[in-house]
Parts: sequence; C-alpha cells; structure tokens
Amino acid sequence: MTSANFGGHNWGMVVDIDKCIGCQACVIACQAENNVPLNTQDRVERGRSISWIRIERYWEGDFPDTKARFIPIMCQHCENAPCEPVCPVFATYHNSEGLNVQVYNRCVGTRYCANGCPYIVRFFNYWEPVWPETLRNHLNPDVTVRSRGIMEKCSFCVHRIRRATRTARSQDRQLLDGEIQTACSSACPTSALNFGNFNDPNSKVSTMRKDQRHYTLLDQFATEPNVIYLAKVDTDRKVGAGEAASHG
Amino acid sequence: MASDNEGSKNKSSSLPKLLIPVLGIGGLGVMAVMGIVAAFVFTGWLGQPVPVLGFEQTFDQPINFPHTIHASTKQLDYVPADGLSTMEGLGLDCTFCHRTVTTQANAGVPPVAFCATCHQAIGAADNPELIILRDAANLTNSKGQSAAQIEELLDSGVAAEKLDGPEPVNWKRVHRLPDHVRFVHEPHIRYLTQNPGEIKGTTDGVTEGAAGVCSTCHGNVAAMKQVEQVEPLKMGQCVDCHRDNGAPTDCVACHY
Repeated sequence: MTSANFGGHNWGMVVDIDKCIGCQACVIACQAENNVPLNTQDRVERGRSISWIRIERYWEGDFPDTKARFIPIMCQHCENAPCEPVCPVFATYHNSEGLNVQVYNRCVGTRYCANGCPYIVRFFNYWEPVWPETLRNHLNPDVTVRSRGIMEKCSFCVHRIRRATRTARSQDRQLLDGEIQTACSSACPTSALNFGNFNDPNSKVSTMRKDQRHYTLLDQFATEPNVIYLAKVDTDRKVGAGEAASHG
Repeated sequence: MASDNEGSKNKSSSLPKLLIPVLGIGGLGVMAVMGIVAAFVFTGWLGQPVPVLGFEQTFDQPINFPHTIHASTKQLDYVPADGLSTMEGLGLDCTFCHRTVTTQANAGVPPVAFCATCHQAIGAADNPELIILRDAANLTNSKGQSAAQIEELLDSGVAAEKLDGPEPVNWKRVHRLPDHVRFVHEPHIRYLTQNPGEIKGTTDGVTEGAAGVCSTCHGNVAAMKQVEQVEPLKMGQCVDCHRDNGAPTDCVACHY
C-alpha cells in the first residue's frame, strides 16, 4: 500500500567527479537547508563537527605536477546498509523509496549506526544546537531541528521530495524527472551532483549511471549504495578511466 | 546467663515491633505513589491525557476572538461586547480567514490588516477587543489618533518614530505539535473534501465547505467562544486514520 502511494520511486544520486571543482557550494547549501548546527572551531578540533555532505580533497602527483582531486561524500543510502540492522530501536530503516531514513524521535543515541557506517556520514549531536541570534529566523521550518543526543545524516532532502510529491498529487499528475532537486544538487554550479529516480529507465540519473565510468564507494563491502560516482577523466594519465577509482 | 539471653531477646523483638507500623505506613505510601504514577502513565498511553499534560486547555488570547460570531450560523448564547444579544453567527467559512489551509502546510492566522478590512466599519467604537484590533492594525494608535490624523501629523513634519506604530497581535497557539512532526494541512483537506464519508466530528451549526472537514481534528470550532483542543492529536490517532484511509504509514511521511 505504501509503495503504491509513493509511486514506487527509487531515489538516488549520480555524482560526476569529472565535473566537481571542489567549490563547497553543496556543503554550504546543505548546512543552510537542513538546519545543521554551526561547526565552531571548538567542535571541529574535537572531531565532532557535523557536515551531511563533505568534499574530500586528495593531492595527486609530486610537485610541481600536483593535481587536486575532489570527491563529495554524503550518505550513500545503501540498499544493504550496515547502519540499519544495528539499531536497537529501528530509528534507522530502509523505506520503500530507497531512502535510508533516520527517525529522530525514535533515536536513543546508541551511536551503533555511526560505528557501523564505513563512509563516516552519520553524525551525533553531542550538544543542544545553538545558533546566534541573527540566524534564528533563518532555520528551515520544513526540517526538524535535532536536539542533543540523537544521530543525524543526509536525508536526500526528503522534505523536498515530500513537497514535490504533494504538489504533483494535488495537480493530479506524475512527478517529472528533475522536478526534485536536493539542496546540494541545486547549488552545484557544474551539475556534478544529479538527483533522480533510478526506477524510471528514462530519467537523467538512470542514463548517467550507465556510463562506463560508474563506480560505487567501497564496493568491497557490498553495501549497494544509491549514490553512483562517475570517475574522473584524466587525459594525462595512461591508465584507463575505469581504473581511476581505485587509484589513490 | 539465662537473664542475659532473655534481655537480648526482648531487645531484638522490641525493635521490629516499633518498625512494623512505620514500615506499613511507608509501604502504603509507596504503593499509593506507584498507583498514581501508573494511572498517569496509562491515561497518557490511552490517548486521553490528563489536563496536566497541556491538553484540553484554553488560552486567554490578546484579543478574545469569538469563533461563534464569525463561523457559527446559530444564534449566540451570550451577549457580545456590543450588546447585540439577538445576533446570529455570520457563518463564515474557515477558509475565509485561514486562507492558506487548502494550499499550504499551515492554516495561517490572518494579519490584523485583514481583520480590519471589515472591522474598520463593523463593530462598536468602544468595543474593548476592537480597540486593541484597530490599534494593532494602525487604524488608530494607543493615543486614540486615527489613521487620517496620523497621516496629517506625518505631513506636518512629526517624525514617524514618535507615533506609535502597529504591533502584531501575539496570538497564542492552541493546537501544537512537537517539532519532529511535519503536518501539512493541504493533502488532508483535499482528501477529506473528496471523501466526505471519512469526516469524523460534528458539523452542527457549521456552514458547508471546509468547516466540516476541519472538525475531524479541530472539533466544532464554530461553537467555541474560546478555542480549545478537543482531540488528543497524538501519533496513535494519526496512524489509525492513516491506516483506515490507506494513507502512508512510513515514518518519513511525517517525521523528517
């Protein structure tokens, strides 16, 4: 019944590393959209900063022939998620739309899921979130402000999915491809991040994931992520493009 | 030796004798406290929370807005401030004031300027509630100056900050949900409008249209002089209704 109501979507993302310029616009957009607490210097130094999406930067080659490589990493919404079976209260589970859902009001803060996640994309609220007075009215009313003691992570901007679904249903039509954009993908200036429905064979993301450059992160763990990466194309390099993923 | 033994026996038996009533009363007290706690928990659990938890309470609003006059079609059972004891309710639809309820998440409380479109002409000048309203809508200020007078003063060179500006009315919210719940009015109104058979609640003295739909969760607001929460609005109630109507019961349908 549930899947029928939601129209049998399978949300996912295709990240084209070749287009990523490491500008961090997605990080800022996500921070603002999802009421993520501010990462003060104190919190970063303690290794307790929260960032639902991050840009990892790697240097390649020796000076002066160095190259910066960027890779945006957010919750991979794994089909076979290591975080889900360890939760004792079912606060995280897989829903019928392919989303790895975090239910804030169920979470009791055991942090087992964060230990289980190989991508390090789950974050624990060690403190009650505070914002300076000037930012209080900037909070997104569509997103819960997470209190102290619970886990949080990328939700694939599920509030945007809900809003678009509602709009489509009130207009009595199907969701259009590209109608839903997450905060990060709408902020990306080079369209490196692409959000869409993998169940629709004609959607943009379904077409993109057929690219021979595609790979998933840490595929040795067989987590079957819903985030597909397209490898960097480097004309200087002698190795094939498909091997770029395993190259450090 | 024997007397010693007797003495110690007496001592050891007299101490518990003193403690028995103390322990008995203490035990009864603990049982009573546990019983009260259990009753409290069970009332909460069964969805009929005791008033201590904040349900079924009304608030004194900054302006005593009577829904009876505006929304009901019945004759009022009290004398309004204007003394119009024979007055009948106007029978306005809920959406007349709560304009965004059919399209948005929030029902929306109208700005005082919206109230003022009627109340600059309707209602007695000495009605204490309407004085507050007209002040807030900047039709008059707290010095009793009308909008035209304020305009004149401004034209004559008085600095604007010396005149009392409009202040929004700080309405108190009656129907509150926790922050981890995202309730959107629009799909609920749409579904119940299309399926009037699923409407629960009374529509007695309420006009046709949205009011009947709204009564499913809000009760017969048109009959309330002061709005109160009549349904517990707890998750069990939401889920029951969602199950009955084939609506999604996925956690992330509401919690995100």
